[in-house]
Amino acid sequence: MDFSEMNHQGEIRDSLDRILVEHCVPENLKNFDAAFKHDAELMSFLASQGYLGLGIHEKYGGSGENLYDLGILFEKLGFHAAPLSLIGCLAEVAQTIQKFSEHESHQALIASILKGDIHTSAILEPLNQDPENPLTRAEIAGDKLTITGTKYLSELASISKSLLVSANSDEGVLLVLVDKEHANVSELTTTANTPAFKVDFDGVSIDRSAIIHAQGRGLEALKYLLQTSMVMRSYLALGITEKMTALIAAYTSEREQFGRVIGSFQAVSHRAADCFIDLECLRLVSQQAAINLNTNHDCENDALVAKIWAGNACHRISYSAQHLHGGMGVDKDYVLWRYCLLAKECELINGSASQNIDRLGLNITANQ
Amino acid sequence: MGEMLIQLSPKQAKLKEELQEYFEGLITPDLQAELRDPEHFEGGGPEFKKAMRTMGADGWIGLSWKKELGGKNLSPMEQYIFVETVMRTGFPFPFLTTESVGPMIAEHGSDWAKEEVATKILKGELFFGIGYSEPNSGTDLASLQTKAIRNREGYLINGQKMWTSLANFSDYIWLAARTDFEAKNHKGISMFIVPTNDPGFSMTAINTLGDVRTNATFYDNIHVPESHLVGQPNEGWSLITSQLNLERLALVNHGPVEELYKNVLSLAQSTKINDNQYLIDLTWVQHNFAQVYSGIEALKLICWKQTWIMESGRLNMAEASVAKVYGSEFFIEAYRLLMEIMGELSLLKNDSELSILNAKLERMYRTASILTFGGGTNEVQRDIIAMAGLLMPRTR
Ligand SMILES: Cc1cc2nc3c(=O)[nH]c(=O)nc-3n(C[C@H](O)[C@H](O)[C@H](O)COP(=O)(O)OP(=O)(O)OC[C@H]3O[C@@H](n4cnc5c(N)ncnc54)[C@H](O)[C@@H]3O)c2cc1C
Repeated sequence: MDFSEMNHQGEIRDSLDRILVEHCVPENLKNFDAAFKHDAELMSFLASQGYLGLGIHEKYGGSGENLYDLGILFEKLGFHAAPLSLIGCLAEVAQTIQKFSEHESHQALIASILKGDIHTSAILEPLNQDPENPLTRAEIAGDKLTITGTKYLSELASISKSLLVSANSDEGVLLVLVDKEHANVSELTTTANTPAFKVDFDGVSIDRSAIIHAQGRGLEALKYLLQTSMVMRSYLALGITEKMTALIAAYTSEREQFGRVIGSFQAVSHRAADCFIDLECLRLVSQQAAINLNTNHDCENDALVAKIWAGNACHRISYSAQHLHGGMGVDKDYVLWRYCLLAKECELINGSASQNIDRLGLNITANQ
Repeated sequence: MGEMLIQLSPKQAKLKEELQEYFEGLITPDLQAELRDPEHFEGGGPEFKKAMRTMGADGWIGLSWKKELGGKNLSPMEQYIFVETVMRTGFPFPFLTTESVGPMIAEHGSDWAKEEVATKILKGELFFGIGYSEPNSGTDLASLQTKAIRNREGYLINGQKMWTSLANFSDYIWLAARTDFEAKNHKGISMFIVPTNDPGFSMTAINTLGDVRTNATFYDNIHVPESHLVGQPNEGWSLITSQLNLERLALVNHGPVEELYKNVLSLAQSTKINDNQYLIDLTWVQHNFAQVYSGIEALKLICWKQTWIMESGRLNMAEASVAKVYGSEFFIEAYRLLMEIMGELSLLKNDSELSILNAKLERMYRTASILTFGGGTNEVQRDIIAMAGLLMPRTR
């Protein structure tokens, strides 16, 4: 057993911190509070420095297939509240294609992502509780597929070149790459101002070669995509809650009431300590899930555990932070509020804790 | 003593019905539209002002005021029912102005204050912002530093307040200021009525997570005549704290959360998740609803019991704090459980395609946290419970 990080991982963390601290200053974050929340400048800088290749095989110009490395990127994006929504592109699309596609044209898309282009996913459907079983249909006729259905919460769809879509067909579940131009994309407005879109496919006809995986492996690929998404979102949650906990520690060590710093009240320090405990649990279950997904493409229970902790930690730490800050916590001139909105989003996307606990309960009690 | 009875009396039930009908008439579509605008969430718009005047004319302001001051002198239970019914509608009734500041001015104010201010509050024509908190005085309110210096004509006021909500559309600030600088913290505070149209008054907006606007307010050499002092000099603290239990109870009224629970329940009952199932058919969804339901039952009973205790004129420190801590923390849990049920849909804002319940769920969770530290932070309430309820030693 060895819980230490490899040297290069500490380096990635430090250098990302240096870049993002400088870039994600409040004045810059403010620019994205109401506008389209995508920091193109930061995106191209990360691309130029090779950070978009974290977790990507060297043959595509990446730093090596390791979800743990990619997790560090999401953790840091969360920690600095970076105006970049990249789970769809970097976790879902790039990783799934890398693992499941044998097509050169699909693999070329990974190179495009590493350059800074957006290719995103369109997986979730309004009210569909079971994303492994999409309501979107792909009718197969000879060499052609016709896709019909509605997806939502597709990140950055408006500036995405292509969309990786899940659909059911007579051959089971398929993952298909569709050119963005074939879809109707409309923007949704969310509390955290995340660039999320509704995507309609109205009988879109495409070539069969758009299916990214070998015949019969669609469900396996989709499961992998969903699990990678859950785990990377847990890393995002980790960064967000780490930052909120750091803000609690700093603020309560300075703010005075009744002639003493509020952090010296035992109730306050204990509540902060509870955040630290939640954080440590979230960190460990996220790390375990990422490491296991590296070698085994189906680790649903690990992913569920990580996402359950992410949901609980986001909720508890967010409200502890707001409470311990008093009025300052909700003032939009201070930084905390952005993290509160991001935390709620992380908590609910990829299944809430209650929903995932239900699913985990079914999994672990099933008779083999 | 008779047998225990845990339900509204016929008279109280009738009041509730009457109020429900009244508000259905009062809250027009125009008013509803105005209240959806973030600028006017908390009132202040023309439709809101019109509704307040109507309520004044119809005798629905001043319920807690004594009869001889022009009020209705409703019992605590009747007041609770009033608060409950108003809050269910979402109408931002300015309880603090009308039911806390108003009766204090009517009772302890100068002749000018009684005639010019109290009567207009009753008519729904005047609004107040509450000027208690300061940058360095929040929970430790008694340490406040805004000064009112006595001179021949009255008082000269200087200082800064923080989080002065509603100041942006208020006529006056109900201001706590220090008048004795030698006395122990809470013994040197007096209460003033400060006009917001004074040239020495200014403010800057503070925007919050819940999109609710509040303000930093500044008092620069504002001179007020003696008639603007309410109560005796240096005895302001007892005015600030006199209504605290009723105010705390109003904060955690079970009406709004029960209303939200019902809204989400009926939405989930009518929402299909596939060809054979409704959202409500999922076991975990049923569990979440059951948790919210059982939490609301306890909250309702705590509030009713506390109100019933007040009916007999007694005051129970520990139980008022129980209501405040439990209620404010339960709201946060309840909103979470209900948001989980609607999943990501509950993240969508009101103007978004696919949004649900006018995004009420989403907005309520964003404003929930302020109750755990506002109205006396929960740590201090827990200290009170341990001391007054369990007779434990005072925490240091
Ligand atoms: C949206 C909004 C509207 C408001 N409207 C008004 C208004 O209209 N008028 C007005 O006067 N005020 C208003 N307030 C201010 C509100 O009353 C204060 O926020 C509240 O009193 C807490 O003070 P604070 O924010 O300075 O927090 P602090 O006093 O700094 O407290 C922060 C935290 O420190 C801890 N703490 C403090 N003291 C203790 C202790 N003794 N023991 C243990 N822990 C402790 C608690 O965790 C507490 O939550 C408003 C605030 C907000 C956010």
